[in-house]
Amino acid sequence: MSNTIDTTQVKLTPKDFASGQDVRWCPGCGDYSILAQVQRVLPELGIPKEQIIWISGIGCSSRFPYYMGTYGFHTIHGRAAAIATGVKVSRPELSVWVATGDGDMMSIGGNHFIHTCRKNVDLKILLFNNRIYGLTKGQYSPTSEVGLISKSTPYGSVDYPFNPLSLALGSGATFVARAADNDPKHMQEMIKRAAEHKGTAFLEILQNCVIFNDGAYDAITGKENRTDKMLYLKHNQPMTFGKDNSKGIKLDGFKPVVIDLNDGVHSANDCWIHDETDHDAARSFILAHMTDHPELPVPFGVVRQEYKTTYDQAVSNQIAAVTEKRGKGDLQKILRGGNTWEIA
Amino acid sequence: MKELKLMKGNEALAEAAIRCGCDAYFGYPITPQSEVLEYLSMEAHSRTGMLVLQAESEVAAINMIYGAAGTGKKVMTTSSSPGISLMQEGISYIACAELPCVLANVVRGGPGLGTIQPSQGDYFQAVKGGGHGDYKLIVLAPSTVQEMVDFVKLAFNLAFKWRNPVMILTDGALGQMMEKVELFPQEERTFEPLPWATTGKPKSRERNFITSLHMQADAMEEINRHLQAKYKKIEEEETMFEEYMCDDAEYILTAYGLVARICQKAAQLAREKGIKVGVFRPKTVFPFPTGQLAKLAGKVKGILDVEMNAGQMVEDVRLAVNGKIPVEFHGRMGGVIPSPEEVLHKLEEKFVGGKA
Repeated sequence: MSNTIDTTQVKLTPKDFASGQDVRWCPGCGDYSILAQVQRVLPELGIPKEQIIWISGIGCSSRFPYYMGTYGFHTIHGRAAAIATGVKVSRPELSVWVATGDGDMMSIGGNHFIHTCRKNVDLKILLFNNRIYGLTKGQYSPTSEVGLISKSTPYGSVDYPFNPLSLALGSGATFVARAADNDPKHMQEMIKRAAEHKGTAFLEILQNCVIFNDGAYDAITGKENRTDKMLYLKHNQPMTFGKDNSKGIKLDGFKPVVIDLNDGVHSANDCWIHDETDHDAARSFILAHMTDHPELPVPFGVVRQEYKTTYDQAVSNQIAAVTEKRGKGDLQKILRGGNTWEIA
Repeated sequence: MKELKLMKGNEALAEAAIRCGCDAYFGYPITPQSEVLEYLSMEAHSRTGMLVLQAESEVAAINMIYGAAGTGKKVMTTSSSPGISLMQEGISYIACAELPCVLANVVRGGPGLGTIQPSQGDYFQAVKGGGHGDYKLIVLAPSTVQEMVDFVKLAFNLAFKWRNPVMILTDGALGQMMEKVELFPQEERTFEPLPWATTGKPKSRERNFITSLHMQADAMEEINRHLQAKYKKIEEEETMFEEYMCDDAEYILTAYGLVARICQKAAQLAREKGIKVGVFRPKTVFPFPTGQLAKLAGKVKGILDVEMNAGQMVEDVRLAVNGKIPVEFHGRMGGVIPSPEEVLHKLEEKFVGGKA
C-alpha cells in the first residue's frame, strides 16, 4: 500500500477562482470586468489558491472577496490595508490582495493607505476608482472632480480631488500602476505585474459606476476619445499615442508637452522614454499629474516600480539577526529572571 | 396655521435642524441615515446659510463637531451604529470639555457591520457613556417621526442648557418610515457670545482654553465630581416618560422608541382578551425615569421589557424595580422587529401561563 500523496501542481482555471456566490453588482458595473480579469490572471500565477487571500473594507468594490474562490475577509470601512498588514506579517507566505474603492481607501482609509505604502508591506492593492460612493447611493468622494453634482453636493462639490497615483507615490508605494475597466487585456497585464511585484503594489483601475456616476471617464476611455486620451506606458519605450502613434510626449524641463510626430520637425527620438525604475521620483510624479491637465493624455500602465526590502521581510530579517546574536529566547528564563521587585 | 408635512424620519431630523437655527452639520454617508446629509446638502445652505460638510470619516466628523462646538455654535452630526462607534473617542472629549452638540444615532443591527435593518443594540453605548471615562450623554428616544422633529429642538435646548452632548437614539425603521409631522416655524440663527466659547480674545475677556487633560489626579477628580453633580441635576430635572393605559394595569410592558408603539398595540390586543396591560415608555433613556417606574412597579404584578436587542434597557428597568416584582425580557436581534402578537404571546407565556 502506498501512502505517497500526489503533489503535482493542479492546473487551475478561472472557474477555480469563482466562489459560486451570485455576483450582485448593478448590471453594467465596471466591477464585473475587474472580477473577470482577476479570475483570468490568478491561474497563471502558479500560486495555489489556498495561498491567496482577498481582503476588503466597505463599499461596492468590497463585495469582491465574496465572489472569489479564495480565502476572503470582508472587514471594516477603510481599514482593509491595516487588516491586510496584520495578515501579511502573521502569514508572510500568503499572497495578500486588497480590493477597495475611492470612498473606502482614499477617504476614511487614507491614513492606513499611506502607512501601508510607506512601510512597503507586501500587499497587492486594487483601487476601484469610480469617483463616487456607490453603496450609500451616490455621495461625492475624495476623487470626485470639482463641481460634481451628487446627492451630498447638489450644487457641485467645492473641494479638490486626490490624485491616487500621486498619493501612492508620495507615500512610498514601490509599484504604482493604472488600468481601465474597459481595456481588459491591459488590465490583465497590470494585475499580473502587480502580483509579481514584491512590496506594496498599487493598481488604480478607472471603473465606471453606471448608476451614480455614469460616464465619469468617457472623456478618457470612451470609444471616441481613447486613442487621443490614453497614453500606454511601456518601459524603455518612447511615449507615443494617438492614431497610428502619430503623437508623442516630450519632456520640456519638468513640463510634459504633446508633439506631432508627423510635422516633419519631431520624431520618436524627441519623445520622453519611459523608465519605470527612474531613480528620480520627480519624473514619476510628472506622469501621475498628467491626469490633471486636460490638454495631455492620461497615462496607463506601470508608472513606477522600485525594489526595496518589504516590511514583512524586514521584520523577519530583524528577528533572525537578533536571534543569531543573542540566541533563541527562553521564556522560562525570563519569567524566572532576576529582575523582580518586592513590594513592602 | 399648522404646517403639516409627510416626511421620512431622517428628513425630519434634517428639517428640524434647519428650523431650529442649527449653524453647522458634519457627517459621513452610512445606511440607513444618509438622507440626513443629503437633505441638508440640498436645503440648508440656501435657506439659512447653515454649513453642511461631508467629512472624510466619522472620526473626522466628530472632531469637526468638537472644534465647531468649541466656538459656541449650534452643531450637529448624525450617523448609524458603526459610524457612532468611530465617534466615541471624540464624544468622550466633548463631554469632558463640556461642549454642547447634538448627535443622532439611527441604529442598525450589529455587532460589527451587522445589517442595515433597525435595532436597539446601541442602548448601552448611548446611555452608559460609550467612550472611555465617567461621562453621560443626555439621550432622547423618539418613537414617532413627529418626535424626531420635536426632539431635535429639545436636544439643542438641553445641550446648551447643560453644556453637554445630547444624543437622539433612534433606529433604521424610524429613519426610513414616513409619517405626518407638524413642523415648528423657522427660528432665526442667532449667536450669543457665551463666556466659554472660542470667539477671539479682546482685552475685555478672559483667555479661554479648552482641554480635557488635567495632569493632577486631584484636579481630575474635581472635574469628575463636577460632571457627576451635573448629571445628577439632569436626572432630577430632565426625565421624560409616557404612560399608556397604566392606570388600571396589572402588567406593564416597558419599551422605548419604535418598540413602545408595538407594545401599545400589544396592550390593546391584551385588553381585548381581558388582560389589563399598560405601556411605560421612557422618552429620555438617560436620565432614566427610575423613580416613576419604581412607583408603577408597586401597583402591578409584573413587567415584560421588550427591546430590539439582547436585553439592555432591561437592566435599568430591573434597577428601578429593585426586585419588587418579576421583570421578564423579550428581545429580537440583528435587525428583526417583534410583532405585537409576538409580544402578547410572550406576556401570556411569562405571566398569565397561557391561560388568559
